[in-house]
Amino acid sequence: MREARYLRERYRTILSYTGLILALCAGLMLTPLLVLFAWPAERSQAWSFVVPAVLMGASGLVMWRWLRTKDHVVLSVQEGGVIVLLSWILVCLFSAWPFMDVTGLNFTQAVFEAVSGWTTTGLSVVDVTQAGHLILLWRSIMQLAGGAGLAIIMLSAITGPTGPALSVAEGREQLVPHVRQSAKLVMMIYSSYIGVGMVALRLAGMAWFDAVNHAFAALSTGGFSTRVQSIGHWNSVAVEAVTIPLMLLGSLNFVTAWLLLRGQFRAVRRNGEVRVMVVLVPVCAALLFLLTARGLYPTLGERVRVAVFQAVTALTTTGFSTVGYGDWNSFGWMVLIVLMLIGGGTCSTAGGIKQYRIYLLWKSLVWELRRSLLPRTAVMENAVWEADRKVFVNDTRLRQIGTFVFLYLATFAVGTAVLAAHGYGLKESLFEYASALGTVGLSVGITSASAPAGVLWAQIVGMLLGRLEFFVIFVSAAKLWQDAGRMIRRAHAG
Amino acid sequence: MATDLFVVIVGCGRLGSYLANRLSRAGHGVVVIDAEEHAFGNLSPEYSGFRVEGDATELAVLKQAKVNQADLVIATTRADNINLMVAQVAKTEFGVARVLARVFEPRREAVYRCLGVETICPTAVAGEMFLKAVGGEGSA
Repeated sequence: MREARYLRERYRTILSYTGLILALCAGLMLTPLLVLFAWPAERSQAWSFVVPAVLMGASGLVMWRWLRTKDHVVLSVQEGGVIVLLSWILVCLFSAWPFMDVTGLNFTQAVFEAVSGWTTTGLSVVDVTQAGHLILLWRSIMQLAGGAGLAIIMLSAITGPTGPALSVAEGREQLVPHVRQSAKLVMMIYSSYIGVGMVALRLAGMAWFDAVNHAFAALSTGGFSTRVQSIGHWNSVAVEAVTIPLMLLGSLNFVTAWLLLRGQFRAVRRNGEVRVMVVLVPVCAALLFLLTARGLYPTLGERVRVAVFQAVTALTTTGFSTVGYGDWNSFGWMVLIVLMLIGGGTCSTAGGIKQYRIYLLWKSLVWELRRSLLPRTAVMENAVWEADRKVFVNDTRLRQIGTFVFLYLATFAVGTAVLAAHGYGLKESLFEYASALGTVGLSVGITSASAPAGVLWAQIVGMLLGRLEFFVIFVSAAKLWQDAGRMIRRAHAG
Repeated sequence: MATDLFVVIVGCGRLGSYLANRLSRAGHGVVVIDAEEHAFGNLSPEYSGFRVEGDATELAVLKQAKVNQADLVIATTRADNINLMVAQVAKTEFGVARVLARVFEPRREAVYRCLGVETICPTAVAGEMFLKAVGGEGSA
């Protein structure tokens, strides 16, 4: 009996915070209406935003106000995970509403588009030539907010629970020794990126509307575009030259960005993620240039542009594209798939396995080799630089990373199998699922309005798992299941 | 207390972790230092500050904890001498505005005061309370 009461208390708090997140997202849902000042003709679509926003806001406020408890409640990491999981699912469902209403997508497609937005993936089933400005901006705003870290930014910067439970669930580290100040800093860095990005893209030759949308999508490493051919539409060196650094910034760990801003270049240079990025981008760009782009594009300049841009867009998990991949050879596909699986930095807006984990696994390989060459009793110092301090890597850490990578690749295999089972080729399935799981958004054509529902749902699951921390999602889902079972059993018994 | 202080706490035992939890919950930036990693188990889930594992008598460890930027340093290890040393280093080497040290031995308090270190002595505090309790009973 006491257990049931305790659980009820905990879930009251969890649901009240979830309600607050819903209410805040409802406010966000009204922001696309700002375009009505510039394009008043789209007024008729406004209701498709106002109705779900009011519904979401009202239910959120009721949940928050009604369930809020007076006592100070400390959330554990698992409970933070439950909040994150619940609010992501609910927000994605509500966000799908405008797509069903305005662009006439069915439920599966609309949810797919919403999840692709919030998880900063960028795979799309919307026909952007038909969609109005409202819908286009809404897609970009979802990516902007999703990249910032829906729950932590919403809650810790404004109000809510102390403690790092939520940031852990969304895979974020802290910049300074307090969650709230840390969230504020991240917000500040992020919004200054956005400001710079918008102006730079405008100067590079985009119209204001395109510049705003692409700045949102580049820095959140989302990759939704307002054009069918994505960045390729402009076919301009200036636009690509601006977009590449924006994507790299988006995939840069916020902690590293913070060090850069304060001029601690030494710490940045020693950072593992930076090293991985500095090695991978040029090497992969060079490989794509030599082995893939050579026969396909007429001029040298174009080959370089294509190679560099695709390497960056895949590694940063942004998913803007400048060319189609249909005519690429298998080697080019392979390089892109590997880059998409590796992904960006931890505590950034990017997805994938994350460069930090790759760096540690590489390091442990080196240590292992060196150990076998040294005398048996030799003591080794296994350390890496993390931010501005040296961290000794113990076996527990490596074991966690090993399990994570296994889980990631297993999910990748299952997802690819689902796609292949729907009759797509292995090559296409591998590419498309790597893109969904890494929240990248590059597509070879499987994702479209005509894709079967099974494929879209497999990708929806992949995108959510790829965006939130794998383990936290599994643990939270298991906890929800277990607690719900307990509460129901108690209710029956009582 | 002013909002958003940067506090470094040396020692993450019962007292250190208590202070760290409370200060972090109040919204201050907190870093705790302890030589043993398992001591961080005393911190509650609401603690959102940083943890530094290391010997606080080493300058490098104090530097890593950014003692030079601290508004307040509290030394709460179980050894009086370590607390004194950390407090002195924080005050003279790093120029921290306010330094507090725990000291168990009441006789040392006077010496610390001469060195300019603010102290709190649990023994003396408890002793006073005992005396008050006893005296209160006796006189009444």
